[in-house]
Amino acid sequence: MIGILKSMATTMKHALDGETFTVEYPDVAPEVSPRFRGVHKWSQERCIWCRQCENVCPNNTIQIVMDEQRNGEQYNLHIGQCIYCRLCEEVCPTDAILLTQNFEFTADTKDEFAYDKEQLKNVPWYKDIDPLESREPDRGAWIGEGDGEVDYQ
Amino acid sequence: MSLEKPSRDTALDVGVTEDGLDYDALADLLGGHVLDREEHLNAEGFVIRPDEVQEVLSTLKEEAGFDHCACVTAQEYDDRYESIYHLRKYNDPTQELSIVVPSPKDDPHNESAARVYDTADWHEREAYDLVGIDYDDHPDLRRILLPETWQGHPLSQDYNQDQPQIVSLREHANPLEDDKRSEDDPDTMFVNIGPHHPATHGVLHVETVLDGEQIADLEPDIGYLHRCEEQMCQQGTYRHQIMPYPDRWDYISAGILNEWAYARAAEDLADIEVPEYAQVIRTMAAEMCRIASHELALATFALDVFGDFTAVFQYGIRDREIVQNLLEDLTGQRLMFNYLRLGGVAWDLPEPREEYFEKIRDFLDDLPHKLEEIHDLVTGNEIFQMRCVDTGVLSPEQVKQYGATGPVARGSGVDYDIRRDDPYGYYDELDWNVVTEQGGDNFSRVLVRLREVEESARIIEQCVDLLEQWPEDDREIQANVPRTLRPDPDKEIYRSVEGAKGELGIYIRSDGTDKPARFKIRSPCFSNLQTLPEMSQGEYIPDMIASLGSLDIVLGEVDR
Amino acid sequence: MQSAPLPETLANLLGLDPNSTAVMIVMSLIGAGLIGTLMMTNTALAGPWAKRKITAAFTDRIAVDRIGPYGLFIIVADAVRLLSKELIVPEGADRPAWDLAPLIIASTALLGFAVIPMGNGIQLADPEVGLAYVFATASMASVGLVMAGYASNNKYSFLGGLRAVAQNLAYEIPLILTGASVVIFAGSLQMSEIVAAQQQSLIGPLPSWYAFVNPFAFVLFLIANLAEVGRNPFDIPEAPTEIVAGYQTEYSSVYFVLVYLGEFIHIFLGGAIIATIFLGGPAGPVLPGIVWFLIKIWGVFLFTQWARSAVPRVRIDQLIEIGWKGMLVLSLANLLLTAVIVGVTV
Repeated sequence: MIGILKSMATTMKHALDGETFTVEYPDVAPEVSPRFRGVHKWSQERCIWCRQCENVCPNNTIQIVMDEQRNGEQYNLHIGQCIYCRLCEEVCPTDAILLTQNFEFTADTKDEFAYDKEQLKNVPWYKDIDPLESREPDRGAWIGEGDGEVDYQ
Repeated sequence: MSLEKPSRDTALDVGVTEDGLDYDALADLLGGHVLDREEHLNAEGFVIRPDEVQEVLSTLKEEAGFDHCACVTAQEYDDRYESIYHLRKYNDPTQELSIVVPSPKDDPHNESAARVYDTADWHEREAYDLVGIDYDDHPDLRRILLPETWQGHPLSQDYNQDQPQIVSLREHANPLEDDKRSEDDPDTMFVNIGPHHPATHGVLHVETVLDGEQIADLEPDIGYLHRCEEQMCQQGTYRHQIMPYPDRWDYISAGILNEWAYARAAEDLADIEVPEYAQVIRTMAAEMCRIASHELALATFALDVFGDFTAVFQYGIRDREIVQNLLEDLTGQRLMFNYLRLGGVAWDLPEPREEYFEKIRDFLDDLPHKLEEIHDLVTGNEIFQMRCVDTGVLSPEQVKQYGATGPVARGSGVDYDIRRDDPYGYYDELDWNVVTEQGGDNFSRVLVRLREVEESARIIEQCVDLLEQWPEDDREIQANVPRTLRPDPDKEIYRSVEGAKGELGIYIRSDGTDKPARFKIRSPCFSNLQTLPEMSQGEYIPDMIASLGSLDIVLGEVDR
Repeated sequence: MQSAPLPETLANLLGLDPNSTAVMIVMSLIGAGLIGTLMMTNTALAGPWAKRKITAAFTDRIAVDRIGPYGLFIIVADAVRLLSKELIVPEGADRPAWDLAPLIIASTALLGFAVIPMGNGIQLADPEVGLAYVFATASMASVGLVMAGYASNNKYSFLGGLRAVAQNLAYEIPLILTGASVVIFAGSLQMSEIVAAQQQSLIGPLPSWYAFVNPFAFVLFLIANLAEVGRNPFDIPEAPTEIVAGYQTEYSSVYFVLVYLGEFIHIFLGGAIIATIFLGGPAGPVLPGIVWFLIKIWGVFLFTQWARSAVPRVRIDQLIEIGWKGMLVLSLANLLLTAVIVGVTV
């Protein structure tokens, strides 16, 4: 009986202290870590069309189309299929593809989640956080040196 | 020191020496049964005849003390099929032995081990289902993960991926039809608990025969969440593409523990040395995952016992949320971390480091108070004790028979924890205890989880101290690893770590390419779930639900 | 404090002849409508809104706050949502019984309020066997539960229905025996008499409410009442994590609303009985009687929600054990003790 009363006292204490942990989204935009991985943003100026991101992607989310002269034509990314592992960003030698903190995206059909170049360029930063800044110090650690050859195409 | 193992039973120590297992002595014990010996990375393989499986395994179990059949791996080579029984000992899992059973290509079959180890029952069913080996003398050789009507065996070489799989409605039982199962006993009633049921923690289907409110017979039916994770890993490169997937086995907070299982196996396979600094970060992150996972286990267990989304559930979620935020700061994601890399971790601690340490310390300082509250609400409550003490009892013998591990085994007094017994990471440098409870009931399992949260907090605290004092010029988070990893052909390894739910093991066979030839996951939940019928036979439905909750299964890991 | 039943008051208010049968029938219907509406309003407030807010407070959340002030318009939204849903009739349902069950569950609980004195002369009728009547109507709900469980052609519903019977049998008897101890004190089954008997002072300003006179009986009754209305730790007939939703598994749309409504009215009826026989009915300082009455029944409602937040559900066999071996014995002892005390003092 004492245990039951203790349990009831515990919940009553919580009811009376008035503290809540509800996040009032969308009224209050939630804090996300600078390392958070959201929708991709792509920069045509930086991209050198090396296709490493396409190769490393575990589930073929990125599709790159090039013409005979190896000039980039299309860069498609299906953000609905993406598993947000960030491997594309990690292998990119020029920071042309970045995962923003933006986690808000909706569409009426799955097809609309297949983003093309223009859509990827126009993905907004979340709260104006440029993820590159928070990630810069450690990027070298993993794309740096290695024994195997680097296969830039 | 606290990590010292209690003295072991010496009668069953065939071939045990100071510096590891003497496989020659074991081969002598088996005599002519051993046809050949294979080199596996940390457990030698004895090749035996397919019709002598039971004899060999029971000799090893009775006379050499191999009481834990951790995993059964089946695979197809160009010229043969092969089943590998990975044997270990509960009181020293570093003593490992692989029993390799080849069987002919045209008619693959070998003797079943289910009569020796109960756990082999499901493992062999899975092997039959996915690879297509027949096990003679198996009590119930049916498909386990795929539907009964599936055509072909997906992991066999001649499987046609493009073959249409048509499952007609006729193949499914009509739920409204009179059930045939209870025909011989008119007083029983057949009930499908799941796949859509509030208490199955995912899509689990428990076929239950009730006698009044008591359970007369029960069989878990799994496979609803089967995603062919093993095959997906076989199609990914070691270096990059496999690591995101372990997060999706035990998808509820335990991601880093799962990643570590793969990292450990692959690092040993490719002989990669991980920098110490990275090991400390890994240890800290893994223990955070363990806390998050145990908090959720407790919360959902309370949900099953209390009913509705009541206070304990919310408090558990609230506490887990803090850990989740810490992990988000560290890894960039809340559940699908993808944080470990072969040879290290993806990121150093977030800057400013002091602030991050401060956050962790705040969390650790609050934790005892929060646990106290949970104890007040849950374990101290008389009705809770009434419900959980002496229900769902699992004896230590049953634990070993079914290969149960993790909090389930420790709740039954089986002192088995890979972190201590087969050390990896930074665990053997730290001061912590393995928690065991003797009860074997639902209550003990809850207590074990709660106390393990405390131990994990101790580990994190020590890691934070270490990281704080780590010299700045020695913060190496990543070893030098080739961009393309191609382990030598035909190396085989089975390695395990202590996941949130128990022994999470990975078997990899390399074939010289940058992708594994066979990738097998030994899921702790898969083995633990097998004990459910033993636990709930003759008990009431509410006890069965509580037992299921206390097993803490995640269907993503059961079905893979 | 004693006043004429509601229909008479209404007739006098409108200047009609209270001795005419026709007038009295009409007035009774109007009175019943008023009381029914009052209780339904309480239920509407409790079900979609208060319950969420209270549970949220216990679990450190905010709950509904987007529609209207304090999220109150959620009541309208919920009503529209629930009533506009498709009514799914399970194949093989036992039709008349299946349709009747929700009606019985909802209406029997409402019937009980006919004899409850709510203060300010709001009492529809005041028969001499008031307490017996109110217990009778309250237990009628289990008939509805069994019908719902049996007629749904669903194994979970069936189990839920059976559990409801077993539970009500085990708890009805201690409940009524404990209620009987109050009757011994008051010397009457009439509700107004019981209320009146609690008006004298016990010690100083403390009134002789039976909760103060015999706290043991009060606690017993409170616990038995939790089982009677099927709330934690005794929500066994529903037990969402075990048997999905018990007897109400197959109900949707309007029928679900009725079942749900019935449950809440039942909780309030339980609260009304407790308020009347243990807490002095509508008595209280300063505020008018009806307000005190409402405060008391909401207090009991709050208590059920509080218990729900912190107490695990017991198992069906344990519940029956507690009922027959524990509560029954205790309530008999209480009855005996009361009889002795009353016999010695009077």
